[in-house]
Amino acid sequence: MSEVINLRLLEPGTKISLSDGSIAEVVSNPLDGVWVFARYLSSPSDAALVGTEEMIFAQDIVEILETP
Amino acid sequence: MAKAGTQGYTPGLVDLATGQISREIFVNETIYQQELEQVFARAWLFVGHESQILKPGDFFVSGMGEESVLLCRDREGEIHVFLNSCRHRGMKVCRYDEGNTQVFTCPYHGWSYATDGKLVGVPFFKEAYHGTLDRSKWGLVEVAQLCRYKGTIWATWDASAPPFLEYLGDFTCYLDLSLDAWDGREGGTEVLGGIQKWLIPCNWKFPAENFSGDSYHNISHRSVDMVGIGPSGRGRRDMQERLMARRLQICFPERGHQTGVYVLPHDRPTAPAYRDSPVVSEYFRHCEEARRQRRGEWGRVTGSPGEIFPNTALHPRQPRTIAVWHPRGPHQTEVWRWYMVDTDAPPEVKDFLRQYYIRYSGPGGLTEQDDMENWNYAHAASRGTIARRYPYSYEQGMGYEVQDFTWEGLHLPGVVMDITEAKSSEHNLRNLYRRWAEFMEAKSWAALATWRRPARATRRNGQRIRG
Repeated sequence: MSEVINLRLLEPGTKISLSDGSIAEVVSNPLDGVWVFARYLSSPSDAALVGTEEMIFAQDIVEILETP
Repeated sequence: MAKAGTQGYTPGLVDLATGQISREIFVNETIYQQELEQVFARAWLFVGHESQILKPGDFFVSGMGEESVLLCRDREGEIHVFLNSCRHRGMKVCRYDEGNTQVFTCPYHGWSYATDGKLVGVPFFKEAYHGTLDRSKWGLVEVAQLCRYKGTIWATWDASAPPFLEYLGDFTCYLDLSLDAWDGREGGTEVLGGIQKWLIPCNWKFPAENFSGDSYHNISHRSVDMVGIGPSGRGRRDMQERLMARRLQICFPERGHQTGVYVLPHDRPTAPAYRDSPVVSEYFRHCEEARRQRRGEWGRVTGSPGEIFPNTALHPRQPRTIAVWHPRGPHQTEVWRWYMVDTDAPPEVKDFLRQYYIRYSGPGGLTEQDDMENWNYAHAASRGTIARRYPYSYEQGMGYEVQDFTWEGLHLPGVVMDITEAKSSEHNLRNLYRRWAEFMEAKSWAALATWRRPARATRRNGQRIRG
């Protein structure tokens, strides 16, 4: 497992990978340390998610792929 | 000590016939718990001011009774008041005093709510709940009714309570003395600076009755008057009007609200004030002149401390403040004081007022310290087994109230006690406890809204009906 990610440091534009294999891009960060708003770029389990914006829970974020 | 079934008029805890009130209503734990249900869960309560939440996402954590509540403006600009408690396990979803946010996230398990109260984030929604939790049923608990009035925000948990303006009744014109701009324009006030909050070791009804119109305790402030903290270098405030005005106490028996006022003679201008600063003095002179022109005869009325039932105190003039006496158990009160000022007053006026306000009110304010000392020691000295046996006296002015008061062509709504010569009365204090006892006994708003009964409607048309 990768290091614990400090969610408060995730700026809009950051690309993240999720526990279900999806990749998403941070849209906004409420800075609560628990959630970020992100848009799905890919989702192996549910193609309908791509392009949608969801709240992503901290424990579902596996890795930071790219920072803006 | 349990006092089940002994609240209200029935056993004489609040005896208006003799003007005596039992100390039990201030110190008894069982009565206090009943108050939270009978009074604070049903009455309209002051929550905050629109100027505290100007932008979408702005929030202010306030209180209603013992409950922590979130006053916030959602993304669409709508104002809400929510219970500050996560629906999952009750943790506070906001632990800040104020700020701006996209969501309120519970730090315990992570449930997250939008600023319109909807549950929008549930950790492991698909995995742990298998996507079946109905999030629409688990939003933040919202107050039953909310009312915005001239910038102030009021709420109640009771859906059956009458609308706020009906709850106020004819008292509205006295609340306006705190909320209208000093030149008489409707509304036009804002909160100046932050909210002062502090704890005092007494029952919430001590300050509530004091602000209802305890004119008898003026002796307590003699030292402050001698120091001369007032805005003209003398006394604790400008009080020249006392030499020429009628001094009245006014209450609304069916509502439980009360206030004091000064009414100037028809042909007398308001005396100069704020003479420590020529700029401030000129500002208020101009405002007073404009107010008399704009409001006509009503411009002769100057506000004095008052109370909107149950726990919102008005101090309309010097200093201009609104206070809430939050109950924190029978033996403790958390005071929150808002400082009000004309929105478009010049900066030097606001700054002068800010300095005067905190010199007078709040935990460091000299006048408020006098009051707190009295309430704190009175409460402590009323808790003992022996002390509880002896009621307080509220007998001043019994039988001297006037139902339909007019002076020099100005009619004043409410039941009036003229204390210009009498100096003092406990008329307004009795009114507070009359209403308190009614709330403690009434099973529903149908019993509390007595003005809705047909007989009362007839009375408004001029035919006095007893009973």
